[in-house]
Amino acid sequence: MTRARVLITGASGGLAEIVAEVLQGKFELVGVDPRPMPEGREFPGKFYQIDYRQRKMADLFRTHEFEAMVHLGRVPAAARLRKTQRFNLNVLGTRSLLDLALKYKVKSCIVLSTFHVYGAHQHNHLYISEEDPLLASQTYSEIVDAVELDNVSVAFSLRNPKVRTVVLRPTNIIGKRIMNQISLYLRGNMCPTLLGYDPMWQFIDENDMANAILLALEGKKSGIYNVSGEGVIALSHAIRLSGGNPVPVPGFLSNAVITGMKFAGLNFPKHLVDFFKYPVVISDKNFRKDFGYEPKSSTADALRALRIEALPDIPGGRAAPAPTTDSTEAAEEEKLQRTTT
Amino acid sequence: MLGQIRQKLIEAYLSKEEKSRVERALKKLASTGFDPWGVSPSTLMASLASTVWFYRRYFRVATHGIQNVPPGRCLLIANHSGQVPIDAMMIATAVLLELEPPRLVRGMVERWAPSLPFIGTFFSRCGQITGDMHNAKSLLENDECLMVFPEGVGGSGKTIFDRYELQKFGTGFVRLAMETKTPIVPVAVIGCEEMLPSLSKLSPLAKLIGAPYIPVVPTVLPLPTKISIRFGEPIVFDANPDEPDVEVYRKVETVRTAIRTELDTGLKLRGERIFTGSGA
Repeated sequence: MTRARVLITGASGGLAEIVAEVLQGKFELVGVDPRPMPEGREFPGKFYQIDYRQRKMADLFRTHEFEAMVHLGRVPAAARLRKTQRFNLNVLGTRSLLDLALKYKVKSCIVLSTFHVYGAHQHNHLYISEEDPLLASQTYSEIVDAVELDNVSVAFSLRNPKVRTVVLRPTNIIGKRIMNQISLYLRGNMCPTLLGYDPMWQFIDENDMANAILLALEGKKSGIYNVSGEGVIALSHAIRLSGGNPVPVPGFLSNAVITGMKFAGLNFPKHLVDFFKYPVVISDKNFRKDFGYEPKSSTADALRALRIEALPDIPGGRAAPAPTTDSTEAAEEEKLQRTTT
Repeated sequence: MLGQIRQKLIEAYLSKEEKSRVERALKKLASTGFDPWGVSPSTLMASLASTVWFYRRYFRVATHGIQNVPPGRCLLIANHSGQVPIDAMMIATAVLLELEPPRLVRGMVERWAPSLPFIGTFFSRCGQITGDMHNAKSLLENDECLMVFPEGVGGSGKTIFDRYELQKFGTGFVRLAMETKTPIVPVAVIGCEEMLPSLSKLSPLAKLIGAPYIPVVPTVLPLPTKISIRFGEPIVFDANPDEPDVEVYRKVETVRTAIRTELDTGLKLRGERIFTGSGA
């Protein structure tokens, strides 16, 4: 019996590496990513370096007859892309992938969204569930691509019940192989925080996240699911557990500090600054119930695991060759920041 | 540095027994040592250390019927007064120090509180949650003890001339109690009403700057009145939580009357001696 084929997008990323390891025994894997595979790493299966919107993508679906698709390829805001480029890649890219999945009768699609779509808001209640509104783009328009990616996937799943679509909204994913901004931030020695604020954060270990994706792939249900780790922790304590020192910065200096961090190699998105102010604590009750998910590592252990790792050679897990943000747009964005804050 | 100050405060003001009470009051903690609402034993000990002197020496709090606070989920409904929420602090300290087994009382703070630097964080570290139906429900479903002042700012901002006059009650708490099948404990706080005697609320000016009230208080510090806290018998409403508002008003009135009765009993016991008389 041949094994079912699974398409993994964003295959060059850190999370995809772990997901591929988890899935390779059970499925035949095909990976795609607009970025090249990092040197010294091999994808356990076929790998193609293509943009999701290219026509070649359809041919891939035609020839491989995928059973399932795991869409991990959301370009983060930290990637030095223009807002419109990021929007096109994320929203239109996801849309065309889902359309292909429908056309070529892919049975299930797992889409990796993020808890950022809920937005950090002072009126946030505790335990945000999947039904709560997505407020993120209310304050910062930069995050609209993530919100729209989520919306596109949810709308797709409602319109096409034949394709089992699971949209996962995980909390901060951390781990030694993850190169997202939060992991890089926590690996640092000096971690800027906002003076006077110390919100509660959640984290999920990379292995737990990969396991959650496997559960979603093998499960029967479809829908939107929050995914979080074991505990909730105050940001300053999280920083200390991962071996850093919190450096409180007054709010009015936050933009300057983020710009400074950019020079130090950490391209931290400005629109996430509210997450350092207000808690966004999500509940993954439904995911636990419907898919039998249970995090294996505790939040404290997941944070401590970051400490052991030395700083990576190339900071900033940014998407490779991409034009830098042009100065006028940067200025525009900054203006927007000022008016919204 | 802050951590050291906190540690010194705890060492100076808390006995071993009090520390163990704090630990017993916190139920399930994650591997991180925090509960989901942001409370950890060390932060709670620090805030207890800062109130215990006021509780024992300054306001010499006396309690009556504290064992009426049932185990499991419950709603403490109290009269509100005193311009600043010292009454809330004293109720929480009483339940933490005198109830057996000790419990952490969760208060509900104004919705704008989280946006205040330092203060918002401090509130969340000592168990105070943003006042929100959603939060209240998830707390009660987690079998916590929730404290609500249905008078809101109408109660805390009232002038000395209106002391011990219960203001208009909000009705949300009764529906909340019915939906979650939570017993309501009426609580009467005596002594807080004279603590910061406000002569006027300056309502027009307060409205102008968006504050709920601006108290005109002739004293700088709260007066060392003796505070008595009376806990009444728990009231359970076993009815359809979807019943019309008219029925709910009647139940609110029942709770209000229960608080009124406790207040009257306490005031009678205390008499005119606001600095020495005990209403418990």
